[in-house]
Amino acid sequence: MIKSKRGALSALLAALVTVAAVAAGSASAAGKPIVIGWAFDSKGNMSPFDGPALAAANVRIKEINGKGGVNGRPLSITTCDTQNNDPAKAKSCAASLLGKGADIIFTTCDVDYATPVVQESINAGKLTIAPCIGTDQMGPKRFGAKGKLAFSFGNVAQDEGSAMAEYAYARGWKTAATATNTLLAYFKIVVQAFEARFTQLGGKVVDRESYATGANNVQNAVSRINAAKAAVYVTVTSFGELPAFVTGIRSLGNNTPILNSWAGDGTYWVPKSGVSNYYAVTYASAFGDDPNPAVNALAKAVKAGTGGFVTGAAAIDGVVSAIKRAGGSTDGAKLAAVMEKFNKVPTISGLVTFSPALHSVSGRQYRVIRIEGTTEKVVGSVVAKTVPKVG
Amino acid sequence: MTLDRRTLLELAGPIALVVIAGLLCLTVSRTIEIYFLLAIISVAIVTSISVFVGNSGVLSFGQISFVAVGAFSSGVLTIPVESKAGVLPALFPLLRDHTLGNVPSLALAAAVGAVLALVLGLPLMRLSGLAAGIATFAVLMITHNLLREWEKIGPGATTLALIPETTGWLQATVGTVLVIVVAFVYRHSRPGRMLCASREDAAAAAAAGINVHRQRLFAFTLSGALGGLAGGLYVHMLGSITADQVFLDLTFLTLAMLVVGGASSLWGAVIGALLVSGLSSFLSESESGIDLGFRFHLPEGSRLVILGAVMAAVLILRPSGISGGREFSLDGAGRLVGRLVGLHTSKGGSR
Repeated sequence: MIKSKRGALSALLAALVTVAAVAAGSASAAGKPIVIGWAFDSKGNMSPFDGPALAAANVRIKEINGKGGVNGRPLSITTCDTQNNDPAKAKSCAASLLGKGADIIFTTCDVDYATPVVQESINAGKLTIAPCIGTDQMGPKRFGAKGKLAFSFGNVAQDEGSAMAEYAYARGWKTAATATNTLLAYFKIVVQAFEARFTQLGGKVVDRESYATGANNVQNAVSRINAAKAAVYVTVTSFGELPAFVTGIRSLGNNTPILNSWAGDGTYWVPKSGVSNYYAVTYASAFGDDPNPAVNALAKAVKAGTGGFVTGAAAIDGVVSAIKRAGGSTDGAKLAAVMEKFNKVPTISGLVTFSPALHSVSGRQYRVIRIEGTTEKVVGSVVAKTVPKVG
Repeated sequence: MTLDRRTLLELAGPIALVVIAGLLCLTVSRTIEIYFLLAIISVAIVTSISVFVGNSGVLSFGQISFVAVGAFSSGVLTIPVESKAGVLPALFPLLRDHTLGNVPSLALAAAVGAVLALVLGLPLMRLSGLAAGIATFAVLMITHNLLREWEKIGPGATTLALIPETTGWLQATVGTVLVIVVAFVYRHSRPGRMLCASREDAAAAAAAGINVHRQRLFAFTLSGALGGLAGGLYVHMLGSITADQVFLDLTFLTLAMLVVGGASSLWGAVIGALLVSGLSSFLSESESGIDLGFRFHLPEGSRLVILGAVMAAVLILRPSGISGGREFSLDGAGRLVGRLVGLHTSKGGSR
């Protein structure tokens, strides 16, 4: 009887411990949210890139929170519109997000436009993430010692340019003419990397032109490059210069293939009359024909327009991994130290590796898309085998 | 220059406004502080423009060139040397291998602005009217394109980053007060009065023995120095800058501030800059939605529409600007308060 009473008491204690543990777990799951402050461009030049990345991040966060959050804490996003990346507004946005208690700051997809936000954030000691800045400058290279806190889940521009060169050469395009939009570091470095790798492979760059957003000189570049006899024209641009460049060349009766980077992904810029023989090397297909079914499901959920959307979700995957590896801490320095040690960390856009010097992604398997008329389709994939030292 | 009570009050009014704005920075959130700092620095920029445009009556679209060169020279030379190799590898060795402290960089910004204005002013100050406007606009275009394309003197078309953010409330306030004091002293000095005389009637001024070209050149150079200093303050507030930030938008916005406030008075330049800057910041925040006890959310693009409408209304209803071309005076302030509360006084202000 005594034995039985002891057994009952033990069982009761065990049950109480179990209930307490579950209750504690529940309390933790409903713990203080981890706040991501996201400064993004809602309707300006960067909106075709920022908007889809933010939408994909929201979908990913919903999934993660549905599974109990990160170490029992839900993720939440609070946003601020930088209004076409007006520098003062962007800086004010970052301050506002930090004032609202953001643990981590996310910023727009170009390092030049992102600079006011990044500097305000890293000065406050916060981990600062760009889902798709495409240069090696989101880190110490651009932002000095405090740049240790800055990371991008976008590509290293040198890697992207090299992949473009390898694709072009493999397609049998042995001569190229390039046109550089000098507005952004990303545009320039991708073209430089293309030229370096293309030449390395045995290709020949027969003409080099330049233009700049805001300088009203893209048509001059079109006229000059039209005179160059090349197997492919390579430009890296988006904004108004993209349709101007492509339709400008076609209006001259020139149907030479045009190859662009992720900057020229998507069909949002394509005129109703369509374009022809146009290629872009990008992160993922936004139109349901990506080789990765998970990417297609995400693209459908966010109604993506460009392949960069996938980096929004990938950045959340990376941040979640970092928080878990840092024992649940959201301290900027601790998270940055963990992320610098990332070695093939899985995300929806592939494996991510960072180093103390390089805070952007290289070695990504790019999708090559082709636009004919107004339709975009995946026509191949490419991984850069060698990355030239440029930029 | 006679420093009587009324004259000192003319100076005290603008300074008091700037100091109050500076002190308010201590009481508000960082988000609002950024807007206050912008407003204070706008006062410095607009005051520097008024030194030439206000006193000479010659419209210049090129004054932001001096703000730009001040901002870039001060910015480039305060970035740590070890960072320049990575961020600005193409710089001239003199710029790449040297770094200045905060105050020397501001002095350099003023000096660069002054030298550029002096060199450009030698031929340009012989022009007036439409020709002067077009020529100074050409100066703005040339400066912008040099800063945007020439990577031996700056970042080219990309963003100049890593600039120490040394312009807080104190530096912004002290720097702007300095600009106001210099502008005030010049306006009341003999050369300043001679230039004002040429503004009212250039032919009569010349007939009276005033060398109009020389007086305009002096004002243009002084305006360049103050604009350069304002550019230095500006870049050390933002911490980063692009050539596009100191180009057309800033040119037209600051000229609008000057015209709305009243181009021919220092008080007008100050209140025009503070009011337009404050309104612009409020509308910008409103486009993102702000809490005024209720949610106030303006459609995107409203800022420019409303700013434009306000400026047009001021110019139609009060062509000489809000200040009416008058300097600050207690009588004027009393009259303004009286108007606001429905009372009327018959005393006039000082010009």
